[in-house]
Amino acid sequence: MVGFKDFDRRQAVVAGLGGLFMLTADNASAQAQANLTFWTVRLNTPELSAALKAILNDFEAQNPGIKIKHEPVSGNLVYPKFLTAIRGQTMPDIAEAYSYHPLQFAAADQMEPMDDIIELWKGNGLLADIFSEYAYKKFLWRDHYWGVPYNLDIRPIYYRKDLLEAKGLKPPRNWDEFQAAAIALNDPANGVFGVVFPAGNFHIAQHFYMSFMFQAGGSILDKDGNLVFGTTAKDANVKALTYLTDFATKHKVTPPGIASYNTDEPHTLYVQGRAAFGFGTGGLISRLMKENPALAEKTGILEVLEGPAGPSGKLTAAFYNPMFVWKHSPAKDAAKTFVKWFVQPGRLERLYQAVPGQHWPIFKRDINTDRVKSNRLLKEALDNVVPYSTDFAYPGFGRPEMGVIDGEKMFAAPVNEVVVGAKTPEKAVLDAHEAMKKVFSS
Amino acid sequence: MFLQRRARFAYFLVLPSLAVITLLDILPIIESVVVSLQNQNMGRSNPEAFVGFAHYSRALFEEPTFWTSLWKTVIWTAFSVAGAYLVALGLALLLNMDIWGRTLFRALFLVPWVIPDVATALLWKWLYGDEFGVINFLLTKVGIINKPVLWLSDPLMAMPAVVLVQIWKLYPVMFVVLLAALQNVPKELTESAVIDGAGVMQRFRFVTFPFIKATSIILTLLASIWTFQAFDIVYLLTGGGPAGATKILPTLVYDKAFWGLEMGYASAISLLMLLCLLVISVAYLTIYRTQGLQADEARA
Repeated sequence: MVGFKDFDRRQAVVAGLGGLFMLTADNASAQAQANLTFWTVRLNTPELSAALKAILNDFEAQNPGIKIKHEPVSGNLVYPKFLTAIRGQTMPDIAEAYSYHPLQFAAADQMEPMDDIIELWKGNGLLADIFSEYAYKKFLWRDHYWGVPYNLDIRPIYYRKDLLEAKGLKPPRNWDEFQAAAIALNDPANGVFGVVFPAGNFHIAQHFYMSFMFQAGGSILDKDGNLVFGTTAKDANVKALTYLTDFATKHKVTPPGIASYNTDEPHTLYVQGRAAFGFGTGGLISRLMKENPALAEKTGILEVLEGPAGPSGKLTAAFYNPMFVWKHSPAKDAAKTFVKWFVQPGRLERLYQAVPGQHWPIFKRDINTDRVKSNRLLKEALDNVVPYSTDFAYPGFGRPEMGVIDGEKMFAAPVNEVVVGAKTPEKAVLDAHEAMKKVFSS
Repeated sequence: MFLQRRARFAYFLVLPSLAVITLLDILPIIESVVVSLQNQNMGRSNPEAFVGFAHYSRALFEEPTFWTSLWKTVIWTAFSVAGAYLVALGLALLLNMDIWGRTLFRALFLVPWVIPDVATALLWKWLYGDEFGVINFLLTKVGIINKPVLWLSDPLMAMPAVVLVQIWKLYPVMFVVLLAALQNVPKELTESAVIDGAGVMQRFRFVTFPFIKATSIILTLLASIWTFQAFDIVYLLTGGGPAGATKILPTLVYDKAFWGLEMGYASAISLLMLLCLLVISVAYLTIYRTQGLQADEARA
């Protein structure tokens, strides 16, 4: 065995030079290699992570100079994690997260503009292939695009075809028909509620209110981005809130405890066959397929309802989730190379297959796949919901303040307060408007 | 000289602890004070703009939210700590007796303590569910109720419901400490009291309780501090609802800091919370010292 004492000075010098050479060589190879950190918020279940891993392997095989380190971020810790990273300047090179993150982080001067990618998409026709212009214009703020959409998250209404048929009813197409059907199908003796929706003090509650808001002709912002929730849009927003909460307070066709419901409770009740109409996310499709395939056969996805605003207001809330690049990333070009590669038609098919319905493509050409054609619920969601999907700021475009308004659940509060009888719809809307006004003036 | 050297060595030995405390406690508090005096709206590009006491003024005088949340926090803390103390004391008294299965029960009663808060919240959410909750199911089965109790959906029921969960979470640590304190009560004293004809309540009041009083004060002080700043259980069970019925200060701070991105305002509220805790702690310690002095005088 050779010990240190066996080395003479010459050997030590040679070993030292050798080590130095190896270090230099390693550094040189590191310079050629771009190492990117990719934070994900919405792709962290075991199925989705596995699908993402395969996609990332493909990327690395096609781009040998770039390595991606995937780091999942818990949905509950998104803001603490990102804000700590901003403060410590340890942001990831690339991230995918919730709708308003790019604008909020751009307002904090942390984001790299993505104008070049939008320009590229304009040139190669991809931009025109995206379902809705709100998908990318929501990231436009102060003349720059701060993120690009990669995924669509929908909010459909599921219904029981068999129960409707038994009553001789057709799938409702407008507010009046929907209300009449929910009342007609409410069957407490058999444990079936007319409609189940989340009205707890959670983010999901405001998503469905938003759909009805648009259908009533209301909104939070006007087309110039001004706050109109409790001013010019007040009457429509009150009408929408009254219509939605009446199912619980006046018609009493919902479960009595919806004021504490988050996303899972309506899903569970629907999957158990205890709701004629269920408000949910796209993820309910895979739950139905997995947990109650027989009920999946009896389920339909309602076409977006027409409300008092008529055909122009036939819209539903949905969220075009973004990818964005950190301004101080040492490998911004490589990060953008990855984003350009990742957001392309057909590229994320593995994600869609992993959890059917939970994630939706943003490109129209992605709908003609066998996966969609062979799954009736996916097809119905695509025909009846996706084309009508729009976002919070409609009819305006990006405002960083909307992240706070959404984050602090400022329009979930009215739903929750009216359902428990703490406020009238008008008072709830006016109070929420005052809270929102403070965000815009802060 | 020797003593001086000993003192220097003692200071040297506490240096690592002092460094850790400075790094993990004192520096963050100083940083919080600085942040609370700045704009620190992370959604803006000038977060470090000095705003003086504007955030404190907003919390204390301009928005009622701080005061309503403070009141709810006081209720949440008082009932949780009092409930947990009573449960812990009852169980400790019971398991201090020579009963069958004592060791097994002592271990079982510690289970809630080792379950993480998030799992606790999910477990209770399932128990409290209106349509598929175990509690409503059992109450209906035995005929106590004929329609579900809205544990988390009724503004009047939500606070008692979350308090019950906190009691469940908090009592084991109190139980362990009280049990240890009870084992220090001299048996001869209890036996003498029995011979003198003292009843159960008299024995507890005049023999047992004086021995566990100091422990109880410290224990309830610590439990109050933990509960005053507890966040996970309420946030996960109710999100602060329904209609703000469970909007305690930690949930307000979290919403303002991490959803509202108003770090400055959230820091100001946190420091006001710290002030409240200091007031509680000083009051408790004053009582503790007074009691200690009285005990010393009695012994003298």
